[in-house]
Amino acid sequence: MSDKIIRGKCWVASGYVMAYDIVVQKFWTDPIDKALNSKFIMSGVSPEFDKENAFKDAGYTFIVAGHNFAGGGKSIEHVVTGLMGAGIKAVFADSFSRLQFRNATNYGLPFITVKDLVSICQTGDELEFNMETNTVKNLRTGETRETAPLAPFVLEVAEAGGLVEFVKQKIADGTAHMLR
Amino acid sequence: MAGMTITEKIMAYNSGRDKVKPGELVWTDVFSVMTMDYLGKSTFKSLHELGKTEVFDRERVICVSDHLVPPPTPAFATMLNEWRQVVKEHNIKYFYDLGRQGIAHQIMVENGHVLPGKISVGTDSHANTYGAVGAVGNAVSVTDAAVAMAIGKCWFRVPESVKFHITGKWQPYVMAKDLSLHIMGMMHWNGHLIYKALEYAGPAIEALDIAGRMTLCNMTVDLGAKNGIIAPDQKTIDYLRPVQKGNWEMIASDPDAHYDAVYEVDVTNIGPTVALPDKLDNVVPVEKVVGRKFNKAFVGTCTNGRLEDIAVLSQILKGKQVHPDVNFILVPASQQVYLDALRAGYITDLVEAGVAVDTPSCASCAGIHTGVAGDGDIVLSAGNRNMKGRMGSKNAQIYLTSPAVVAASALSGVISDPRLL
Repeated sequence: MSDKIIRGKCWVASGYVMAYDIVVQKFWTDPIDKALNSKFIMSGVSPEFDKENAFKDAGYTFIVAGHNFAGGGKSIEHVVTGLMGAGIKAVFADSFSRLQFRNATNYGLPFITVKDLVSICQTGDELEFNMETNTVKNLRTGETRETAPLAPFVLEVAEAGGLVEFVKQKIADGTAHMLR
Repeated sequence: MAGMTITEKIMAYNSGRDKVKPGELVWTDVFSVMTMDYLGKSTFKSLHELGKTEVFDRERVICVSDHLVPPPTPAFATMLNEWRQVVKEHNIKYFYDLGRQGIAHQIMVENGHVLPGKISVGTDSHANTYGAVGAVGNAVSVTDAAVAMAIGKCWFRVPESVKFHITGKWQPYVMAKDLSLHIMGMMHWNGHLIYKALEYAGPAIEALDIAGRMTLCNMTVDLGAKNGIIAPDQKTIDYLRPVQKGNWEMIASDPDAHYDAVYEVDVTNIGPTVALPDKLDNVVPVEKVVGRKFNKAFVGTCTNGRLEDIAVLSQILKGKQVHPDVNFILVPASQQVYLDALRAGYITDLVEAGVAVDTPSCASCAGIHTGVAGDGDIVLSAGNRNMKGRMGSKNAQIYLTSPAVVAASALSGVISDPRLL
């Protein structure tokens, strides 16, 4: 399987998912660390995830959500690093909070706009995300949806290993001032 | 060729382009970068991860202590000590620490660190406030801020613009906050303005002072918008002239600029407005909730902690007494605001009326500092968010409204209409 195709199990949001619930208040001052941030990730979203590593141990690869995923106006990066630490490889939603869309881009976690994927997925379904054809397929039902293509910049950052690595390279080779 | 909106122009000019289109990803120059006690240490750590030990310009990286001051716990005190050490190591020129502090967004505007036509970013969501003086103000994360601190640049997706054209005459005791909440009810919190540049224009906006414009732009982040902006005018010039940290030019949208949508609102028809607990967009005219009991009153924050807001409190409470069942906390948005309010006599009026005045900080707004809400509390707040747990306990209720409604209600201990005083 090419690295442009990812398969795995999805968790489907039943309503609006706020950043405040993905990472609850007492962890906002924790250092950025994927393993640490993932321990209580999603603990405010559902009582079933309110135990250490509960979301991570459930073994999801994808999140499927509706509008304004991770909204509420929090810029904390723990949302994205925590999801990555828990094994999430992509999030599909009708729309995203812009702050968390930035964070996801900066860490190389694809946040992908898909219209109404929620309606054809159930938690636990196996999905296949193909970044070459820009599609996501529900392997249980065979239904497929088109995804918004990722901008070249977003892919470049992901390939560099995140914005820090991307910019670090530009600083090191003296081309950062040319970014425009 | 269609013209550009003010936000598109600012994105174009600061990225060395003649023109930009919504949806385009661009790197722009950043005029100033703000970080604060809560996330600042991580931001500087991230700067080092980029291979840099110095910031791009020591006069344009602004450091503020606002979330944790004065420290209520040994843990916060230790965080502050580490933060101070980091700021010192980087030879930052403008460090607004305890004693000279204020809420970062107030500090940035009040001291001219944000200017019309320029782009500024900050590691706190209400950086949208900078649009009040015609800047693109944008909240970013630690990583984005570190990149901006390192190279003076940030990447942006050029947003589609939406215009709110505001006409009519402001009625007595109706404030910018009421318009903000009214629009929240109209557009809904969770969504329709996500990623948009929200431009306020029209005669009722021109009539607003800079404080009111700050309230409006501040809450655009809570509408999901990327930025909120008001074109500079003579009031902007007068406000910035004594404090501006650089030169700037007037800028405005072209008459033929494209907007995704234009909304007309006549402010004449807007009265004092209240958002009911838990949801920002569950908004009603004050008449609908008159008589409801509450036990805590709060005025402060980057939304409503300015001199003009405190003046309204004084106007309503001077010579009277806060109801004995109400604890009223006022937290001025900065030391400068505090001093101005003292000199104007407002603080005396309010303390005599039974208001507790606390040192400028974000206070209970983020739920981690002084005056937090406990189980069973019903808070009438002039802040910006009311989701469960925002001000502390998840078992507290938060009504959001204007300083005028908070003050009028504090007299009776039940939500009251300031127009009937």
